[in-house]
Amino acid sequence: MIHLKNVSKWYDSFQVLDNCSTSVSKGEVVVVCGPSGSGKSTLIKAVNGLEPVQKGEITVDGMVVSDKKTNLNHLRARIGMVFQNFELFPHMSVLENVKLGQIKVLGRADDASEVKAKALLDRVGLADHANKFPSQLSGGQQQRVAIARGLAMDPIAMLFDEPTSALDPEMINDVLDVMVELAHDGMTMMVVTHEMGFAKKVADRVVFMDEGKIVEDAKKDDFFGSPRSDRAQLFLSKILSH
Amino acid sequence: MGDFDFAIIYNNIPFLFEGMKTTLLLTVAAVIGGIVIGTVLAIIRIANVPILAWIAAAYVNFFRSLPLILVIFWLYFLVPLVLGRPVGAFSSVLIAFVLFEAAYYSEIIRAGIASVSSGQVAAARAIGMTYTQCMRFIVLPQAFKAMIPVLLTQAIILFQDTSLVYVVGLKDFLVSAELIANRDQKLIEMFMFVAVVYFTICFAGSLLSSHLQRKLST
Repeated sequence: MIHLKNVSKWYDSFQVLDNCSTSVSKGEVVVVCGPSGSGKSTLIKAVNGLEPVQKGEITVDGMVVSDKKTNLNHLRARIGMVFQNFELFPHMSVLENVKLGQIKVLGRADDASEVKAKALLDRVGLADHANKFPSQLSGGQQQRVAIARGLAMDPIAMLFDEPTSALDPEMINDVLDVMVELAHDGMTMMVVTHEMGFAKKVADRVVFMDEGKIVEDAKKDDFFGSPRSDRAQLFLSKILSH
Repeated sequence: MGDFDFAIIYNNIPFLFEGMKTTLLLTVAAVIGGIVIGTVLAIIRIANVPILAWIAAAYVNFFRSLPLILVIFWLYFLVPLVLGRPVGAFSSVLIAFVLFEAAYYSEIIRAGIASVSSGQVAAARAIGMTYTQCMRFIVLPQAFKAMIPVLLTQAIILFQDTSLVYVVGLKDFLVSAELIANRDQKLIEMFMFVAVVYFTICFAGSLLSSHLQRKLST
């Protein structure tokens, strides 16, 4: 469903993505990991065109992201995205956050949007908080609202950019539980994360990046069992030793 | 102070009130016009529209480099020339204020828009919103909320600056008071009164502005 072919990107003369190729099939969960600065956030943001790339080709559901003829707004409306810092709209209630895209982008009626929003908030365990503002919620709660906001668009895939990195430890599991449930429901997911527990539980494949390159792209069991690259072995030994 | 003639103020309240109406009308209309045009200028510059962005930047720098009193004076003669008919002092002054204030408001609004985090824009675009929708529903509402205290401060400055209309003989609050002061030789009474009124309104506005600043920052 998501294909990246020989993707490269530069900030001025600094190369952030170096000839990256990988793919995510329908219903697959792919975890992208690697040290900070390795380009994994840039890679996932390139999938929905938030970060334009200079070389290579990215297709989502047959549409070429970098093609000028592609309606990017159309494409983005079909791919949910969850950010590290939640990025809920602070001037709107939780319910309005989940309704907004449905109404303004999909053209859904107000009452239908509300029914859908309430159902999704219930699904992420926040039905009681619909009328609060984002600032009244904890980080973990805000991130679950952000997931509901993405799901409200009936996406064909969900992108997660370090969804738990900004959270206090006790909030992380609430968010991961929602994501695990999504994975079990068959959602196509691309997840940038350091949560190796999550990767072990639900990932089909793990992509390991370093210095803008995809160093390793392997089935989960192969990656955790016997990573081929030294860099990935070192990374795993560092984050799994505690 | 025994000679202070309160009656001169009291007896002329209706006349002074007419002057105050002109001052306030000018302030409110110039604030609204300035914010509307200033927002357009700010968005053109932030969106980096080719050529237009350059013109907008030139416009802002041009008006910010001129004394307001000169702009008022110029437009008093220019507007009738351009339109080919007399328009009256109030209209020409209002146009001068709107054009002048738009330059200042556009800089305030530009800073306000820049204060909204890029993550908010990314989140709005990620759910498929167009640039215009993102501006209208996400960026501008947050930007204006953050800007309210500064916009109010600028409105207070504008309120004070309206007294410059005396150069074209428009009868605002200050000119009305001056007319009475000269006619009845009551300069101390009238100018004291004018000072107290300006001070009260501006000071109340400042208090409101800092109150809002505190309230919005929590």
